Amino acid sequence: MSRRQAGWLLCLPALALLTLAFLWPMAILARMSLNETSESGMLVETVSTATYVKLAEDAFTWQVTRDSLVLSAGCATSALLLAYPMALFLFRTRSRWRNLLAIAAIAPLLVSGTGRVIGWLAILGDGGMVNAALHAIGLPTQHLINNWTGVRIGLTESVMPYTVLALLAGFGRLDPRLEEAAATLGARPLRAFWRVTFPLTLPAVSAGWLLAFVLAISAFVTPHLMGGGRVFVLATEIYDAATQTLDWPAAAALSIYALVLLLVLMLAHGTLSRRAAA
Amino acid sequence: MTHLVLEGLTRAYGGRPVVQGVSLSVERGSLLALLGPSGCGKTTTLRMVAGLEAPDAGRILVEGRDVTPLAPHRRRMGVVFQSYALFPHMTAAANVAFGLEMHGVPRGERVRRAAEALTLVGLADHAQKRPRQLSGGQQQRVALARALAIEPDVLLLDEPLSALDAKLREELRSEMRAIQQRVGATSVFVTHDQAEALAMADMVAVMDQGRIAQLGTPEDVFERPRTPFVATFVGRSARFAGQAEGGAVRAGGMAIHAAGLPATGAVEVFVRPHRIRVLADGDTAENALDGTIAAIDYTGEVAQLQVDTPVGRVPVDVATADGAWRARQPGQPIRLGWRATDTIWFAA
Repeated sequence: MSRRQAGWLLCLPALALLTLAFLWPMAILARMSLNETSESGMLVETVSTATYVKLAEDAFTWQVTRDSLVLSAGCATSALLLAYPMALFLFRTRSRWRNLLAIAAIAPLLVSGTGRVIGWLAILGDGGMVNAALHAIGLPTQHLINNWTGVRIGLTESVMPYTVLALLAGFGRLDPRLEEAAATLGARPLRAFWRVTFPLTLPAVSAGWLLAFVLAISAFVTPHLMGGGRVFVLATEIYDAATQTLDWPAAAALSIYALVLLLVLMLAHGTLSRRAAA
Repeated sequence: MTHLVLEGLTRAYGGRPVVQGVSLSVERGSLLALLGPSGCGKTTTLRMVAGLEAPDAGRILVEGRDVTPLAPHRRRMGVVFQSYALFPHMTAAANVAFGLEMHGVPRGERVRRAAEALTLVGLADHAQKRPRQLSGGQQQRVALARALAIEPDVLLLDEPLSALDAKLREELRSEMRAIQQRVGATSVFVTHDQAEALAMADMVAVMDQGRIAQLGTPEDVFERPRTPFVATFVGRSARFAGQAEGGAVRAGGMAIHAAGLPATGAVEVFVRPHRIRVLADGDTAENALDGTIAAIDYTGEVAQLQVDTPVGRVPVDVATADGAWRARQPGQPIRLGWRATDTIWFAA
């Protein structure tokens, strides 16, 4: 057996699983999206682009697309801003608590999405801890849940651990001598960071942002539960079409549309970062 | 004129002393080598001078001014790191110009001076290349140009040649020395390679376990080592123990003559291979030893003989130019000799 064949053989279990659990359902989904829904709501087996045309003509589709993109980009950016200093600290510290701190940073991953949301309800709800504190110091209370604010907070928190991990992995080759060299050349610490360390972490930042963005745009539980039915994003729309209005062709077409959108964005990201690296 | 002074520099890591009261001074424009085995504290000493580590005690003076409390970016010391630490996202020219920019040199002058520094190290043609496009030797030169471009008060070099292969190391050694002398930079050079230290330095400080074992010219530390450690670490030698008695050292049933011996007491004796001659029949010497050749290593210019003698194994270098070394074989008898003044001894 050649090395090449052995390589394929090693990939086989994963390929088989992917085919069974991803590619095959996607094919069914693609087929389903070409069906139509009759006026009475009946599924009509056919091959047409009518469902897509209907989606494209609906202003709501574009509204949801825009909202999803803005929400995910915003959450990815705030997760990155919060994660970057923490990841840099974790990467640099020589403390013996380092591993414990790293585990603490990614601990939210150990809690189920639903459990996390319930925690947020206790904190952000109208009678929650934040509002109780605001009330206690005489400030007006805020609606922090069942709206976009709640979804933004919850989603940022849920993607942040992944951002920390992506950044830590990307920092791997950062040489601490570089900042020392910058210092001996007369650079104040902030300047050394800005001119030397930060540019060198950009690939990690870019990868971390993309990961957070992808996770945020495909998130369902957090927008669904923390939006209180008032926040509409692609994932919740697909869910509603599939389980509430039972319009399967629409749900399928929306899924395919979301997938293509994501692929295009990832390709653009790949091209841009390759160009930046060159 | 004294330019750089270290006074009682001391540093411990977690209770383990690494540098213990290092004091020395470096003349303006001269190059001092900190020579020692790994873990002797030489790099820590250099990093304290650069301001990258704070001493637990002691002071660092530049032209009489105490710079100990200053952060590294206020010290104006050019550092060449062992790994070079070039900024990978900048061109060679931008690397060299970086320090000038940090010191507020205007753009036009920056570009000109960076180009000058690169020309000085012979890399004018590679100014627009990134570090990863340069060879190890070229990276090393960029690192040197970058450190020199800021016209530093003191140039600090941390094992700058250790990552290069032997041939290139020797080339760059003399080249760096020439550049250092041309710009007149007061320099401290850390190395574990005694050949490098002897060839490049004006003064050598041999370090052992956080202390300076000897500070002197290269010839001093090689020919007149002050401690057994220095004699062992710098250069090869025959080494044996004996008893001083009646103006000679009794060892292995022999009397080894040496200058200035005490009347009595245990002594440790060293003899450098280049001071030992092979005696022909009828030749005499103040010290003569009969032995048997144990091994012959041909190294090019010389053949290194290991000779078993009554005092132990003695290394001898035999010039290869006349071809006579080829007649020698392991197992053959050989007679060695050296002058009494070439016997190095220490009271044990």
